[in-house]
Amino acid sequence: MLPDAETIRKAARAAASELTGKAVRDEQKLVSSGLIDSLAVLKLISLLEKKLQISIPPETLQPEDFDDVNLIVETIERVGRD
Amino acid sequence: MAFNSLAYLAFLSVVVTLYWLVPVRLRGGLVFAASVAFYALWNVVFAWLPLLIAAIVFACGKLMAGQAHAAKRWAAGGIAFLLALLIAFKYRIFLFDMFAGSAGGNGGSLTARVIFPVGISFYTFEAIAFLVDVRQGRVKMPGFVRLCLFFYFWPNILSGPIVRARELMPQLELNKPFEPRFVFEGLDRMVWGLVQKNVIANLLGIWVDRGFSAELPERLSALDGWFVAIAFGLQIYFDFAGYTNMAIGAGRLIGVTLPENFRQPYHAATPADFWNRWHMTLSRWIRDYLFFPINARWKGAPGPLYASLIGVMALVGLWHGAGWGFLLWGTLHGMYLAGYRAYESFKQGGTAASARSWHSWLWRAATLVAVVLAWVPFRAPSLSSATAMWSAMFSHFGGEQAKFSGLFYGFTMVVALFCAIEPALMNVLAEAEEASEGEGLSLFRIVVRPVAYLFGFFLFLLFDQNYSQFIYSQF
Repeated sequence: MLPDAETIRKAARAAASELTGKAVRDEQKLVSSGLIDSLAVLKLISLLEKKLQISIPPETLQPEDFDDVNLIVETIERVGRD
Repeated sequence: MAFNSLAYLAFLSVVVTLYWLVPVRLRGGLVFAASVAFYALWNVVFAWLPLLIAAIVFACGKLMAGQAHAAKRWAAGGIAFLLALLIAFKYRIFLFDMFAGSAGGNGGSLTARVIFPVGISFYTFEAIAFLVDVRQGRVKMPGFVRLCLFFYFWPNILSGPIVRARELMPQLELNKPFEPRFVFEGLDRMVWGLVQKNVIANLLGIWVDRGFSAELPERLSALDGWFVAIAFGLQIYFDFAGYTNMAIGAGRLIGVTLPENFRQPYHAATPADFWNRWHMTLSRWIRDYLFFPINARWKGAPGPLYASLIGVMALVGLWHGAGWGFLLWGTLHGMYLAGYRAYESFKQGGTAASARSWHSWLWRAATLVAVVLAWVPFRAPSLSSATAMWSAMFSHFGGEQAKFSGLFYGFTMVVALFCAIEPALMNVLAEAEEASEGEGLSLFRIVVRPVAYLFGFFLFLLFDQNYSQFIYSQF
């Protein structure tokens, strides 16, 4: 079973902060603002998979599905698999 | 009917005026009729092509929805058909020549031999993205007429910006009430675009054409070679940015917002940053529909990463046209990107450019030089001409000078200086605009703007004698 939304949100904040090296707000744009690029999104996906012990099949995703913490939560709830 | 022609300005004036006068329910029909007429005026023989593309996308979308188990197959089939169309129209002669061993340089003669539906590279990519987005559940298939309007939409059919369905389709309701800011924003972009194209790009083009003419590169001094290459970098920027401003401006005049395509590209901090600033809608397309899916499959592993950077950028080169020079230009950019990524991963922790201040400036300078060098095969009429130009740039020191008038050197330096201070100028304009907000009829609105429009239009008329084709309308 997938973790609940709040657990995903915490993991998303932690992973985004780890990648950018600074605290990230939930609505802060990551990809469209240029803070992270598409390769960093792949690292973000790996981090989230480790933190949440889930699998995120990225083939049907686009970098902007990870554009902010809120979107990350939505995306994982949509495509994540335990 | 080029964007920078009086005929187009007359067409635009009539369509925009009618758009705001007719009832909202008639706007869609008006824009569709205007768009089809605009495209047909370019080449009436191929006026049906966007219709065919809309039909393919619509049929595949319906089949995907109706046969969920075979959705992947229908998406793949649709994309294959679209690519086949693109290849048939754009690359068949190049492929034939390649296998026959007689392909030359870039385009010039080749393009002339292929009957070429203008804009096909742009709307085919939009169609592929549309199918992928429908398949991934990001976009709902609209009605057929709305889909046709999406592909025929005149402001961006010729050379982009390459729009996503989710950003343009909702706006094609065309039901916004009139706001004066649409006119100001639209005219700002239109007038600046006209000046960029007709004054700056066309003037530079005269000297660039001479610099790359058949016999000259071999006889240029190093300094002249660098000036010609830099002048072409400036010409293509002002040409394409000028076109894009006119496309965005036309959209704004009817209340539609098209995505930006440029963000001061010659201020790029790294090769990767250049592609976040140059032809941004193409970069975004490549990232979302090619680069990311490929590297997601391999989890960003180094081998596939570097191979895909070079391979994908080579394809980007070929997207511009069927020519070895374009292929070389794309491949060079792929190598720049791979080199930058290798350095970044070597440094680890932080990006390579952010590590130290002098590193950052070194990357900026290296990126600028690398971009200028890559423009040479993009522009040169043949690979031998490109190598002659590179050879002049790196070895003809102390060679014979003054193949050009002093005006060329002076104008190129002024335009380069303008590029250097462009971000600061944009800030000043944005602040003036912000300060005039809510002031009603401020000095900025009633004096500065109209004077700027008149001056820009005067310059456009003054320089209207120059040849006027946009470089990217050939792609």
